[in-house]
Amino acid sequence: MAHVNLSQVRKSFGSVEVIPPLDLAIEEGEFIVLVGPSGCGKTTTLRMVAGLESTTGGRIDIAGRDVTAVRPGERNCAMVFQNYALYPHMSVRQNIGYAMKVHGMPAAEIAKRVDDTAALLGLAPYLDRKPGALSGGQRQRVAIGRALVRQPEVFLFDEPLSNLDAKLRVEMRAEIKILQRRLGTTAIYVTHDQVEAMTMADRVVVMNGGRIEQVAAPITLYEKPANRFVANFIGSPAMNFFEVTVGDGEIALADQKLSLAPSGRATLAGRRTVTFGIRPEHMREGAHTARLTLVPDALEPLGAHTLIIGHVGEHRITAQVDPRFPAVPGQPCAVTIDMEQAHFFDPDTGARL
Amino acid sequence: MSVGTAPDRVKYLFIWPAFLVVLTVSLFPLIYALIVSFQAVRLVPPVPPRFVGLDNYAQVLGSGRFWGAMWTTTIIVFVSVALQYVIGFTLALVLHHNVPGAALYRVSFLLPMFLAPVGVALIARMIFHPVLGPVNALITGLGFPTVTFLTDPALAISVLILVEVWQWTPFVVLLMLAGLQGLPAEVFEAARVDNIPVLRRFRDITFPMLLPLSTAVVFIRLIEGYKVVDTAFVLTGGGPGTATETLTLYAYYEGFRKFNIGMTSALSFVFLVVVTIAGTLYLVAAQRLARRYR
Repeated sequence: MAHVNLSQVRKSFGSVEVIPPLDLAIEEGEFIVLVGPSGCGKTTTLRMVAGLESTTGGRIDIAGRDVTAVRPGERNCAMVFQNYALYPHMSVRQNIGYAMKVHGMPAAEIAKRVDDTAALLGLAPYLDRKPGALSGGQRQRVAIGRALVRQPEVFLFDEPLSNLDAKLRVEMRAEIKILQRRLGTTAIYVTHDQVEAMTMADRVVVMNGGRIEQVAAPITLYEKPANRFVANFIGSPAMNFFEVTVGDGEIALADQKLSLAPSGRATLAGRRTVTFGIRPEHMREGAHTARLTLVPDALEPLGAHTLIIGHVGEHRITAQVDPRFPAVPGQPCAVTIDMEQAHFFDPDTGARL
Repeated sequence: MSVGTAPDRVKYLFIWPAFLVVLTVSLFPLIYALIVSFQAVRLVPPVPPRFVGLDNYAQVLGSGRFWGAMWTTTIIVFVSVALQYVIGFTLALVLHHNVPGAALYRVSFLLPMFLAPVGVALIARMIFHPVLGPVNALITGLGFPTVTFLTDPALAISVLILVEVWQWTPFVVLLMLAGLQGLPAEVFEAARVDNIPVLRRFRDITFPMLLPLSTAVVFIRLIEGYKVVDTAFVLTGGGPGTATETLTLYAYYEGFRKFNIGMTSALSFVFLVVVTIAGTLYLVAAQRLARRYR
């Protein structure tokens, strides 16, 4: 059985159902990232696993034990919060050792574990400082230390890097990932940042409106998004979508015809209309290409490549091209599309075809 | 004269009006009272003020009634503030954890604070009246003899303390509740996830985090408490004898019964010194306690 198992878990606040019945199985040692836009229920789900939020229905198991009605403290989870949630009047040493002290662990054992944890996280020089005298990154490291010193069944991370600056965030996400792999502890990590989700997760859970849209390895999400929402959410800049008509091995976008790759032909057999999705970075050469003429409205040179923000008919389009691509705002230009990278979705349900 | 110094002189001109207001409104009465405290001033019969040096102070410090009033006030203040703090903090904790009907409690707990102390004292006087009061009606109804709450020294002080606690606990509730609601929720969630029992959570987290606020609340109540006059005046008039006479009540009697203004001023300054010393000692102690957590 899965290490952490949510079956038919529901949550309502009053008459508002924020999480419709939700199923999720997390294997031991897995790094799971819950990602989605604000208000998608990812934090609520995490807090239900922690026990900080009660469930309206369903059942949660951790390590084979039904913990649905168990107090947070007895679930053997450790949580890292967005605002660090350190005890402000205790030194780093006391913060990390506090829970063990309360639970009556011998002082020598506490000291050893605190020192080990501090060494692991590079906190040794700060052990006698108060949180107020630490930087954001150091504070979050203390919070992580406080979580892992307890050697819990599950780590719960609630947007732990959101309060850090961009550079530190990149460093810390690698650190957390390496640490989790070394300890082999199951981790559930909530973020709204798709880059964090993609880089850290063994499997990503994409949520929207309380529902799970897709659970998959990061690369699968990118290559085979289950539906239009996931396709739109994962990847930056976001995928372009067009409502097109199908006919004769081609799709018609505005008044232009794009020839389908063989795989696309098979997928679209017998359909009249479809949602065509293409990522900006797939506007490049390939085994089966098509030409699309667009009108650039603005150019965003990023160094390694340039983004063209433009339109085709009344559709907006973003294309990623070579920095030396000859584009001028207002003057139509043609880009190459790798049609083997095209995605097709049902125009009514949004499901991948 | 350089250009830079001209506005510097002008600025004092602008400061003067405000300084004058402060001088006349705040400092003048204080200085006037200080001068009077070194003089023999009697309004009835009117006698021209005469400089007597430290005679007034000697008289105050040598008076057994002054030390009695000091002792009475100190007892009332310390016992009632301690009770106010403990009860108030407890109620604030209860309200903070949203017991059912918390909104109703919140309003009713605050009501006593809005009443005029004289009114509160009048109500208390009726409640503890030996013949007409409901408390004695209950006691005699149960078959016990009448208790003379306001004419027995120890009981009269207890009633005064009770009234003080009843009226001013809401103040503590209000501020401690605000403090509790200002604490970061995540810290307590972290403690819950870490399986810290409720009492340890209070002792190790809530209490230390609210220590600065507690210090301020108790300080305000101590200073305010030392000035108690209306409750004692209405409830017992300082009696029986001078058993419940507080410092301010004593000053009132000296000044407005005997019209001995010089001595009253001296009394007020001794009182000021006492409150300042007590306040400083308290703050030093509180800081020492806070340092253990900082």
